[in-house]
Amino acid sequence: MHKVWAVIRREFVEKVRNKWFLISTILGPVFLIAVSVLPSLLATKTGKVNNIVLVNEDAGPLAERLRTQLTRTTRFAVTLLPSAPERHEAVVDSLTMSVRTLGIDGFLVVSAATTDSGGVEYRGRNVSSIRDMAVLESALRQTVVVERLNRRGVDPAIVQAAQGRIDFRTLRITKSGATGESGMATFFLGYVVGLVLYMIILIYGMGVMRSVLEEKQTRIIEVLVSSLEPFQLMLGKVLGVGGVGLLQFSIWGVAGYGMVHYRTEILSLFHVPAAAVNAVQLPVIGGTLIVVAGVYFLLGYLLYSALFAVVGASVNTDSEAQQAQQPVMMLLVFSLIVSFAALSDPNGQVALVSSLVPLSAPIIMPVRVATSDVPNSQLALSMAIMLVTSLVVVWGAARVYRIGILMYGKRPNLKEMWRWARQS
Amino acid sequence: MNTDLVVEIDRITKRFSEFVAVSGLSLAVPRGSVYGLLGPNGAGKTTTIRMIMNITIPDEGSVTLFGDTLGGRHHSARIGYLPEERGLYRKMKVRDTLIFLAEAKGVSRAVAGKKADEWLDRLGLGEWRLRKVEELSKGMQQKVQFIATMLHEPELLILDEPFSGLDPINQQVLKDTIVHLSRGGTTIIFSTHQMDVAEKICDHVCIVARGQKVLDGSLQEVKQVHGGTHVAVAFDDGSEAAASILSDPSLVEKADDYGVYAELALKEGVSPQTVLERLVRSGARLRRFERIEPSLHRIFLDKAGPGAADDLKKEPAHA
Repeated sequence: MHKVWAVIRREFVEKVRNKWFLISTILGPVFLIAVSVLPSLLATKTGKVNNIVLVNEDAGPLAERLRTQLTRTTRFAVTLLPSAPERHEAVVDSLTMSVRTLGIDGFLVVSAATTDSGGVEYRGRNVSSIRDMAVLESALRQTVVVERLNRRGVDPAIVQAAQGRIDFRTLRITKSGATGESGMATFFLGYVVGLVLYMIILIYGMGVMRSVLEEKQTRIIEVLVSSLEPFQLMLGKVLGVGGVGLLQFSIWGVAGYGMVHYRTEILSLFHVPAAAVNAVQLPVIGGTLIVVAGVYFLLGYLLYSALFAVVGASVNTDSEAQQAQQPVMMLLVFSLIVSFAALSDPNGQVALVSSLVPLSAPIIMPVRVATSDVPNSQLALSMAIMLVTSLVVVWGAARVYRIGILMYGKRPNLKEMWRWARQS
Repeated sequence: MNTDLVVEIDRITKRFSEFVAVSGLSLAVPRGSVYGLLGPNGAGKTTTIRMIMNITIPDEGSVTLFGDTLGGRHHSARIGYLPEERGLYRKMKVRDTLIFLAEAKGVSRAVAGKKADEWLDRLGLGEWRLRKVEELSKGMQQKVQFIATMLHEPELLILDEPFSGLDPINQQVLKDTIVHLSRGGTTIIFSTHQMDVAEKICDHVCIVARGQKVLDGSLQEVKQVHGGTHVAVAFDDGSEAAASILSDPSLVEKADDYGVYAELALKEGVSPQTVLERLVRSGARLRRFERIEPSLHRIFLDKAGPGAADDLKKEPAHA
């Protein structure tokens, strides 16, 4: 045990001393915030104003109303072009030309029939922008509905009132009753939990691989295995690197807690008013989730680091490692992709099965726990499967590792590795 | 079981799929000896050493270390092992590396730290103790490796091709250290294919070729058993005239021309006196004519066969 402890200490101290530990500890949350917040930020904020022409072919007041509505969205600058139905072809041709020569972004034709048939055509360069088209369609729908109501003689005041803003909120109900937590916040929490577990298992699993490969490349491995059992070495390595992961996890956890707890004070330094801060609803992170995420991090890390240790032991160079790590990485990436499906339907078939399959469980199950109520029986079953699989994989990996670390030259194929695992 | 034997190997065999690396090899290393494991590259020296160290397991036979068969790893605190392929953690500090490697052998942290400082000072690396290994020159890294091997003052030192790749200064450092430790009672096993080095340091040898033992025993025994009359001759000039005598099969069994001098194994019953007379009469001007013991090199070539002699000239990549 003294020997294993020496290996654990070396792995831990060397990795924590490394400047990359400091950098990744600081940059990790920055990256996480970037990938989770930036896309939505970009989608809402980068709206450049689209210059469009609204061709009015005897559509009456509809055209003017539509222009007002679109201008109000701030995404469109509308030029009204009165025209006649007979000149339709010529107008479309010249406007198409003007779109192609980059004069305008697109054009919309409304006619007398629009209010009745609802048929409107938009042609432009930005038709693939889902957001622009959604804004356009929504504005059209509102304007046409108002126009139709007006024609039937509905009091404009009533129409005005009917158009009042609708505030749709989603609230999550758990076993302990309504939480006051919004659906959006729950989704966000599940997303972050999945992403963090994926990142930390991948980063530290690969850390084990690099450490194994380093000992092989520097040939220090031979001195080491003359002093301690290969299994002791692998165990010490996995525990030491895992300890670094746990430390980093804890630093992020404490820092995150502190930031959330003192968010009003922190943000006031940036002159953000307290009211604005409190208006943002944050997801509630329960004790169960923390425990479940911790357990699945440990089990998932154990499983994947053992696989990565095998990869490290079976290759000779960094470039070979790059290749050989692909299959293991794909398993993790696949789990992350499936976790998105689990996010939208946490109790569906896909989520249930993938939270029991040991290779994807470490990411999917915590996501399910974050977003729904998982029955205790499923949790227990999944953990049991995970634990047994991890132990079997560690045992097998240790046997392949023991032979692989002393092998140089040609990379073994799966068949050879299987033979190593079976050798006494 | 002989308690005066530190290592006793009993008919070990190791195969790697079809290839037999070591076949039925037995040897015994007496306590306090400097034991040379000699043979060409690919003879099975490294495999034998790895089996002593528990790194590979023999297919047949047994290895007894310090009187039991628990294996090298169990006794790692009593053994210092320097493998042929050497390396250190490049990013680790020198002192930390030494402490870790000693701890892995079962030495306590406090003792390891103290010993590391002593050894670093002794080999002139005191100022480098807090530097990273990669900042050291190759020669300094080799010294760090010696220290890692010997720091815990092992009773048994196993060195696989210790002199290969060393600069002359470090060769001397290592040789001095081996002699120093041997006087202090440490048993030393080392493998080499450099017979001249072995001849200077070893008191016991075992010659292996193609995975099998060719002969073993104390250096004296080996030379006596090998027998024959050996002569060293060197010429100032006129060696052409003497050439016919040196290659006369009725006088000379074998001749090795080393350049500066030639070693002759005389035919049985031929007196050195006869050869000397013939050489003088041929008109060759002799610089040296001396009756010598057969060199280990000569014995090795005789015993390990012509195939082995060829192998000696090559330096194939070693597994």
